[in-house]
Amino acid sequence: MSQHAMQHVEDFRAGHALGLDHRKLGMWMFIASEVMFFGGLIAAYLHYKYRLGFPEAAELNVVLVGINTMVLLTSSYTVVSALAAIRQGRQGRFIAWLLLTILLGVAFLGGQIYEFADLVRQGVTLTSGVFGSSFFTLTGFHGLHVAGGVLWAIVTLVRGLRGTLNAEHSMAVEIFGLYWHFVDIVWIVLFTQIYLIV
Amino acid sequence: MQGRATQAEKGRPGYGVIFLGLVFLTAIELGISGVRILPPLSTVLYLLFSGMKVALVAAFYMHLREDNRLYTAVFVLPVLLLLVFALLTIAI
Repeated sequence: MSQHAMQHVEDFRAGHALGLDHRKLGMWMFIASEVMFFGGLIAAYLHYKYRLGFPEAAELNVVLVGINTMVLLTSSYTVVSALAAIRQGRQGRFIAWLLLTILLGVAFLGGQIYEFADLVRQGVTLTSGVFGSSFFTLTGFHGLHVAGGVLWAIVTLVRGLRGTLNAEHSMAVEIFGLYWHFVDIVWIVLFTQIYLIV
Repeated sequence: MQGRATQAEKGRPGYGVIFLGLVFLTAIELGISGVRILPPLSTVLYLLFSGMKVALVAAFYMHLREDNRLYTAVFVLPVLLLLVFALLTIAI
């Protein structure tokens, strides 16, 4: 094998053959697949919304969900601050920002559970009609993604406490951040399409 | 490693400024919802503000503004495809 080809193989093994980190590129490709996943659910929701009309949507608690939206936006800020902290080698701040992220994620989930329970009390359930089916499927899957993100944040926190993450090894935090911010972006779209445009 | 900042990081708005922008845009959306501006104006405003919020998060928090353009392409292409599908779905 030529010197040039050998160098290319070495670069590939090192994870930067295209000048890109393979783990990061993999995360972006996963996000691309998630765009299509949520895209299908959102398209289905919009289809029924504009064909049938969703009068039940007027009953949604926009103020409560608005507060929940602020909570998720704040968590995006804490995640990006955690990344900045670990890149600067500030371990204590990194732990604090990540802990705050976990608390905000749990708070968002608590708000969502409260909203779901309120809707069920009003008779809107997964099987009560097209609105209930599409609403709970869409927001439920988003909630599951937030729950997955909280678990991921806990694992990242444990790694941080054990000292395996630092300024030189911060890619794991960046990749977790990409996931969390994407979940935030999905919520920005859902908040607009479900709660604001009724 | 403390205090390390790239040239790109020095020239961009801080994360806190972006956060305040996101909160401000969300507050405006809730305000529009409260005063009950009628469609289609309210719909246009909601789409405009949510689009701005998505762009801010992707560009600054996900670092697409300063990262390799291939990452942007991997993210934007399915979004464009999704928009086409969504419009077709509504139109059918």
